[in-house]
Amino acid sequence: MLTIAPPDLPELRANATFEALMWALARPGDSREMPEAGLAAIIDTLVDLECSVFADEPGLRAHAAATAALVTDDVGSADHVFLTSLEGAETQLERLRCGSALYPDDGATLVAMVQHGRGQRVRLSGPGVDGTVALTLAVSPAFWAMRAILCAYPEGFDMLLVDGRSVIGIPRSTQVEVL
Amino acid sequence: MSLASLTKPWAATSYGFLDASAKRELRRKMLKAISVPGCQMPYASREVPMARGWGTGGLQVTLTLVNPNSSVKVIDQGADDGVNAASIRRFISRVSGASETWDTLAASIVQSRHRVPEEVMGEDQVLVLQVPNPEPLRGVEPNISVARQMHADADYGKLWLTLYEQIVRKGRIMQGAAYPSMVNGRHVMTPSPIPRWDVPKLNMARHLTFLSAGREKRLFAVPPFTRVEPLVFSDRPYRVEDHADLTCRRSNVSGFFMNELPIDGGGSAFEVSDSNLGIKAIRQAEGAPAEIGKTWYRNGEFSA
Repeated sequence: MLTIAPPDLPELRANATFEALMWALARPGDSREMPEAGLAAIIDTLVDLECSVFADEPGLRAHAAATAALVTDDVGSADHVFLTSLEGAETQLERLRCGSALYPDDGATLVAMVQHGRGQRVRLSGPGVDGTVALTLAVSPAFWAMRAILCAYPEGFDMLLVDGRSVIGIPRSTQVEVL
Repeated sequence: MSLASLTKPWAATSYGFLDASAKRELRRKMLKAISVPGCQMPYASREVPMARGWGTGGLQVTLTLVNPNSSVKVIDQGADDGVNAASIRRFISRVSGASETWDTLAASIVQSRHRVPEEVMGEDQVLVLQVPNPEPLRGVEPNISVARQMHADADYGKLWLTLYEQIVRKGRIMQGAAYPSMVNGRHVMTPSPIPRWDVPKLNMARHLTFLSAGREKRLFAVPPFTRVEPLVFSDRPYRVEDHADLTCRRSNVSGFFMNELPIDGGGSAFEVSDSNLGIKAIRQAEGAPAEIGKTWYRNGEFSA
């Protein structure tokens, strides 16, 4: 006889958050709703003692440390990077891990708070996009230029852009054209 | 930080059988698999109460995705009622509280061994394929480190050579299942042992596909709207099995992938491989309500 554990709240929250992240990356440019706003739920969903984390805010660093992940001050050694703002982060993010052609999965996951629907207009194409899709994100052209240099497919990093409860994913396989 | 803050209260089992750390690892790898379509991502592959090689990879992906609102369909060679499929489906629903279904249109997760359903899968559906051998280069390069380097270099010449040799020796490409296919123009994957008939269903599909090999500890993915191109020569077009003219002896549907059944005295009878499609057709013929969705193949021709 199986003893079936009912899903507890952290489990349901992580499951729903992951579903949003998964579909966000599977359909770049498409906005998905997470069960709660902010980056903390994403840390709980993805990060544990096998990860190294960089975060630009003390609260997030403490939250990541509580999962037993290695919290680092060096962007280049983190596999998960959590930023509350992308503004002026280009020089810091130049050291972001991009994996190698042998192990593309070593590329970092960049999770950042970015306003959707205002700022720079971009056009996305690639896997997950039916043709092209245009959207507006508060991400500077300088950042996209840096991303284009770093993401030499299959090397690169994958982005999850969070605005409140909404998340938009831009994997390394997506071509971003600044309009 | 104390030890107590890092642990949870004791529980006899975890929801969905896998423990939280196993799920987090799978989630991380599934996101990376989506980001690099067709590229094999290593993962730990935990123990599940089933022997490796019987669908443990697919089961782990399904158990990570499943929640009490999910509706799960499991098929084995197209059939929902095979022992392996029925056992996996019952296990998933027992440990997760998800509902079971045989209907492709009603399922949120379709776990499958060796077939893709004939009805077109929609944009909120996930197809989880169980993969025995995830390495398309295994036949030409047994050393997995060398094979990894070949993937890194996009060095797939030996696969083309295999296909060429088949044409020279037999006059046609003999590769029946697990036909090597280029994903997103970069990585060649094996689409698991689905027949050639099913490979076009993955190309520019609306659904998300995960392919997971539990024994080999690797998973890869095909996101929606991703190019999946079978390796072919420009003067030898890709051919699916000649099943377009066959008719199912029980449901009378034709133009779908069939199981060939030897009959007494020689010859063969045919039954539609996607068993629930056959069941729906029989119900319709008997006047019962049964909705057959749009199918990938119409009149035996692929037309998505």
